[in-house]
Amino acid sequence: MNLRSLPFMALAAALLPFCPLRAASIEGSVVLPKARATPVVNQRYEIVAKAGVLSTNPPVAIVYLEGSFPRPAKQPVVQIVQKELAFSPSLLPVQVGTKVEFPNFDDTFHNIFSFSPAKRFDLGRYRPDEKPVPSQVFDEAGLVTLRCDIHEHMRALIFVLNTPHFVITDAAGVFRLSGLPDGRYTLKAWINSKTTMERVVELKGAATLRVDFP
Amino acid sequence: MKTPRLIASLLLGALTAGAAEEFFDRLEEALTFSAAETRIRARLSGTLDLEGYVLQPPAPGVIDTKAQRLFSPRLTLFLDAQLGPRIYAFAQLRGDRGFDPEAEKARVRLDEYALRFAPLGGRSLNFQLGKFATVVGNWVTRHGAWTDPFVIAPLPYDNLTPLWDTQAVPASATLLRWAHVRPGLSAAAAAVEKDRRFPIVWGPSYAIGAAASGDLGRFRYAVEAKLGSLASRPDAWSHAREQIDHPTASVRLGYRPNPMWDVGVSASDGVYLREFAGFTVPAGFRRADYRQRVIAQDVTFAWRHVQLWAELYAVRFEIPRIGDGDTLAGYVEAKYKFTPQFSGAVRWGRQIYGHIRESGAPVRWGNDVSRLDLAPAFRFSPHLQLKLQYSLQRGDSGGRDHSRILATQLTVRF
Repeated sequence: MNLRSLPFMALAAALLPFCPLRAASIEGSVVLPKARATPVVNQRYEIVAKAGVLSTNPPVAIVYLEGSFPRPAKQPVVQIVQKELAFSPSLLPVQVGTKVEFPNFDDTFHNIFSFSPAKRFDLGRYRPDEKPVPSQVFDEAGLVTLRCDIHEHMRALIFVLNTPHFVITDAAGVFRLSGLPDGRYTLKAWINSKTTMERVVELKGAATLRVDFP
Repeated sequence: MKTPRLIASLLLGALTAGAAEEFFDRLEEALTFSAAETRIRARLSGTLDLEGYVLQPPAPGVIDTKAQRLFSPRLTLFLDAQLGPRIYAFAQLRGDRGFDPEAEKARVRLDEYALRFAPLGGRSLNFQLGKFATVVGNWVTRHGAWTDPFVIAPLPYDNLTPLWDTQAVPASATLLRWAHVRPGLSAAAAAVEKDRRFPIVWGPSYAIGAAASGDLGRFRYAVEAKLGSLASRPDAWSHAREQIDHPTASVRLGYRPNPMWDVGVSASDGVYLREFAGFTVPAGFRRADYRQRVIAQDVTFAWRHVQLWAELYAVRFEIPRIGDGDTLAGYVEAKYKFTPQFSGAVRWGRQIYGHIRESGAPVRWGNDVSRLDLAPAFRFSPHLQLKLQYSLQRGDSGGRDHSRILATQLTVRF
């Protein structure tokens, strides 16, 4: 062994507990509900459809580690876009304090609003090219339903969480949460406003835990 | 009024609860159908409106009651269906006490049904066939209870002109009595006169017909041939046979430089006299010789929490035995959202009449009307809205200089 490398090895050993390589992970799956019926655009008094096609979003779940974690030092900024008369993504988990921007990529007005107790706002009607992009800071945990005052079929959900440890499953319900701290936590799988499943998990070291809901 | 008040209180309590939003979302899901890998989709939706009016008789506009108070509930069901990328169909079924607020027994009507076909698969060309709202003007796009900031329609769609559609005017003196410009309306005529008059455009004018429309970049066009003039009454919209030989042609050309602005010019030409009025026109003439000709301009502006609308209608009625009767009607309307839930709207409208000749002298053939409308509104939830409207009208108000009307509308949307 080269003696000159010893100090570096000692430093690496000292930092190991803080290194992501040692953080725990959880992987598993969530049984998802059936897909919702695709909505119909109301075109009674206006021609608004893009050839009648609407993008559809398969049902997914949000899996998160419940707990009270410090807010990030730098405010996260994420986007929900409005494109082809739909919100994308239609389900967005964010940590408390996150700023969400709502760019409009359609050639028509949208008017996003929410009456949800966790965040009540109305952005009004704004042009696609408007700067700065209209945004809101979500500083209270809870579920926020986004709607468009002009296009009644448009709907999206923002799930504001107190934790930075969350992930959206894929369309098959498979998820992987990594970089988790040691400790005993409740792992939750949010499927919809009526259904949240949970499991107590013990995280330690670099182990990968397998959790399937239900 | 006790029952409506009780219903309204119950609805308010029930629908503002947190669980209500979930209930409506589940209901929407239950009323949405799709098949053939979502190529065929259909959705049922609707509104329940509880309307109340406090007014000074005689009721202004198309409201039909002799009482000072009127309760007018309405259940509206919409069907929207997308059949592949090129075919869209819709229908509107209403159960109420009359198309316009009136003190009649409840009835059910199929007010709209139409099939739209886009042969090119996009927005540039659409054909529509059925019974549907007119393409003229810009009020139609917001005339639903949920989207209209007001309870009562703007003046051109509501204020009654002096003309009757059931009978040709026998003489200019008679028209001036019908118009309340001259006193002396007989008791028999006074008893029926309001039922026989009509506005420039009767509400959204859901007459049977065919239309072609499209969106060519910043320009929009729509043309329609309908079996009923813009002024035709709701009873006539379903009587296609009556106007089969005299279709009304209407067109609107719109320009939208950006999403904030939309300006349009409309024109319409049709026969406004009903079939049985044909027996009362002068010998040698047909009722089709007497036309309603309309030129209209409209403008829409929206930005952030402000919305503005304005329309101006220049209308000529060709009147048997008299000649041309011209009238000009328009309004300016503004809405502002003060908070996500509370908004307010104000509208000023005016209708003025031109001159006809009586005994060689020019005389106005109708009483000019001005109306100021104020309407605060509150949305308790995405499914429950309460609107109030106070209107002050000057002119043609049953002998008074001014008339007032207070209207309220509680709407549940599902």
